[in-house]
Amino acid sequence: MSEDRGERRPRPRGGRRPRRKVCSFCVDKIEYIDYKDINRLRRFTNERGKILPRRMSGNCAKHQRQLSEAIKRARAIALMPYTVD
Amino acid sequence: MNRYEMIYIIDAGLEDSARKELVEKVSALIEANGGEIEKVDETWGKRKLAYAINYKTEGWYVLVTFKAPVELPRELERNLQINENILRYLVVKLEEKRSAVKPRANRPAPVAAPAEYAPVSEDAPVAEEAAPAEEAAPAAEEAAPAEEAAPADAE
Repeated sequence: MSEDRGERRPRPRGGRRPRRKVCSFCVDKIEYIDYKDINRLRRFTNERGKILPRRMSGNCAKHQRQLSEAIKRARAIALMPYTVD
Repeated sequence: MNRYEMIYIIDAGLEDSARKELVEKVSALIEANGGEIEKVDETWGKRKLAYAINYKTEGWYVLVTFKAPVELPRELERNLQINENILRYLVVKLEEKRSAVKPRANRPAPVAAPAEYAPVSEDAPVAEEAAPAEEAAPAAEEAAPAEEAAPADAE
């Protein structure tokens, strides 16, 4: 978001502005993110087990909130790690 | 009465008979306190834990769905806490619209879905950037990054 400081360029051509990401939960029309669905949840953590920020995952606010809740639940019952080292 | 879903992990070192007894005991506890068991699911069974709990790396997962009055989860959790063969438990309330099983794409579309289901095409950002630029003409340099950030938050 902060790449284009100064210069007045509405869309930096050939710049590093990536394509806008879409919330994958909205695309799949999921209204409840299940904490048991580890394969899906795992895609939203990095290799250290941290939850990816929205700017990387492209999730919408609503689903990101649900997602973080689901990941935290999964961690609580040892389905997902708190940390990977 | 609410619907709840509970997962608990039994020590995998426990023999089959003792484990069955424990599952029975937990189910009996739910029913003794006015709950109605819908399903006891042990399909996961023995599973590797994501991290060691009490130096154990494996556990037996049991998933129970039940209907119960609001006081039950607290009593249930108190009892699960006491039993040392139960490594972890998690009781979650199921909302009406939520599903107890894994939601998949073949479910009917929810009513609220169209609001944020925004098909993204290449020309969408152009339209967004063009419109506010007109009203915020004086600070065009600042307007561009500022409203770039805004739609990202909105979605």
